[in-house]
Amino acid sequence: MICRPALSRGSQLALRRQGAAKVAQRSFAAVASPKASYEPTNIAGVKVASRDDNGPTTRLAIVAKAGTRYEPLPGLTVGLEEYAFKAGLSNTQKRSALRITRESELLGAQLNAYHTREAVVLQANFLREDLPYFAELLAEVIAETRYTTHEFHEEVVGVIHQKQARLDAAAIALDAAHSVAFHTGLGAPLYPTTSTPVSSYLNESSVAAFADAAYTKANIAVIADGASEAGLSKWIEPFFKAVPAQSPSSVTTAASKYYGGEQRVAKTGPNSLVIAFPGAALGANQPETAVLVGLLGGESTIKWSPGFALLSKATAAAPGATAQASNHAYSDAGLLTIQINGQAAAVRKAAEEVVKALQSVVEGGVSQENLVKAVAKAKFDLLSASEVSGTGLVHAGANLIHGGQPLQVVEAIKALEGVTGDKLKAAAKTLLEGKASVAAVGDLHVLPFAEELGLKRSGVNVELASTVTPSAQPPKMTFAWKAAGITYNRYLAVASRVVRRSLKEDKRLIAERRGQQQLRFAKWTNGKQGEIKNLAEANAAAAVESAAAGGTA
Amino acid sequence: MTVAPSLAAGVAKRPWLMKLLTPIASWYTNAAGYRQMGLRADDLISEEDETVLKALSRLPARESYDRIYRIRRAQQLSLQQKILPKAEWTKAAEDQPYLSPILEQLAAEASEKTALDTLTILKKN
Repeated sequence: MICRPALSRGSQLALRRQGAAKVAQRSFAAVASPKASYEPTNIAGVKVASRDDNGPTTRLAIVAKAGTRYEPLPGLTVGLEEYAFKAGLSNTQKRSALRITRESELLGAQLNAYHTREAVVLQANFLREDLPYFAELLAEVIAETRYTTHEFHEEVVGVIHQKQARLDAAAIALDAAHSVAFHTGLGAPLYPTTSTPVSSYLNESSVAAFADAAYTKANIAVIADGASEAGLSKWIEPFFKAVPAQSPSSVTTAASKYYGGEQRVAKTGPNSLVIAFPGAALGANQPETAVLVGLLGGESTIKWSPGFALLSKATAAAPGATAQASNHAYSDAGLLTIQINGQAAAVRKAAEEVVKALQSVVEGGVSQENLVKAVAKAKFDLLSASEVSGTGLVHAGANLIHGGQPLQVVEAIKALEGVTGDKLKAAAKTLLEGKASVAAVGDLHVLPFAEELGLKRSGVNVELASTVTPSAQPPKMTFAWKAAGITYNRYLAVASRVVRRSLKEDKRLIAERRGQQQLRFAKWTNGKQGEIKNLAEANAAAAVESAAAGGTA
Repeated sequence: MTVAPSLAAGVAKRPWLMKLLTPIASWYTNAAGYRQMGLRADDLISEEDETVLKALSRLPARESYDRIYRIRRAQQLSLQQKILPKAEWTKAAEDQPYLSPILEQLAAEASEKTALDTLTILKKN
């Protein structure tokens, strides 16, 4: 039994209610009037967005404006994420990481901490009646976590190294594309690689200072999916009292500006190429970007068929490569990326096909049938993102912390339906005429340059050969005698002869005499001695022959 | 780390007893002789223990360096059959615990883990 006084009020309540409270059943009426969008409110100074479909489970998340875009020093966002309850790390003032984990297990919940370029997200998925316990837990994690030295050295550093080891070419290419597209801010890498020098910036005190600046009421949003508004307004107010309203050192960043360019990183292993264009920002009214992403698509959604998507058709011509289009939406900018992964030669071929496909949209437009399919795909992506996967929750939070409104699904769907073929064609044209951001990671001997693909890029070519793997081979040294195709002995004989001949007459005679030798040799074949030859004569004879034939000297 | 049963908490609660025992305690500590070698009480904790090793790894770098210096100096003194000049003896104010708080923290972590590992769920309904 968990000792009674150790459990706080909220958790006691949750434990007492467990079983007693009836799981709210989804009624037919609820199906008839689904609430697809998050409704923003403000509870005791905390920005809250909630959506309730009367389901049996709840997802509660704190979205804090502390993503890599806002970190004052490299690596702090990652440190903040790892210090949160994930992996059993944080020791808050009241309870240890172990207790948090065990209690959550008893309640059948999942805890997760992750970050995007703009936000750090602390999320708990749990049964509907446990809302008080998890509202208290999340508030405690952001307000009362102790950033201790020993946990940093014993736990955080290890987890960061593990995650760095998992970074693949695709992630590095996406980071590189963001870096050339936005330089600072959004251009900061999502996860520092092993070659990023973070150790001088990342320590427990810098993380604690960043946490103080980031975890304030002004800087966070609480997003609830599947929690009643009454429950939220009842529990958020008391538990979030300890969260400071504002911090003297707030997180700031400059507005994003699109630059574009090219970056190439040599890396062993899989290859990745990212072609990126300015995309649609969060809350921007650009439905044609979403439809264009739907049209470009990626992996076919239907089995045994390449489908209608342009990218899956393009990669059908290059077996061994996969391509995927997506729009990375941020508060004040967006990046439409086409990512191609696979073997170097296949990636190169696929990249050429992809650019051709884009050009075909610009020149020939899209057929009515494909347009309908693309709009349907964009609609499905939007709805499933806001319903099934966590992206809806993160987007709603990102909108709130940047002062916007959560996505209104009904209006967004209507906008998607209004996209015509001409609009799509115009959007594709703007993309190709603008500056692209191209990032190639892998075998640079094969992977193409942006110019080879026919893409426009900015005047300055940002080329970096920062090898991520330290095991890069040094260039092999070849000797002149080896290149000439003679043996080392012959090379020495030639060299010494040249030296002797370049001497003055008196010295030369002495030297040549010194070089005279009375050695004789014979070649043994099949156990029988061959003809006995004078070595000096044989040498001279061989020197007359072509250099490649030498070897006996 | 196994700790012998201590009456310290009981004594601290009773001011009159505290007043009575404090001179005796300080006489005893000085008589123990480690202060004359420049050591602190926490330097005497045996290192041959997993918990103590873990606690030592959590010491700040400066603290750890000073600890090693004190121990090596004491070893040298012991070899030479000497004690430090009186001015360098550890003063009572300097003899603060630096390792035992970490040891207590580790013990609390371990006991919490045991408690959570062996808990029984009682369903109320």
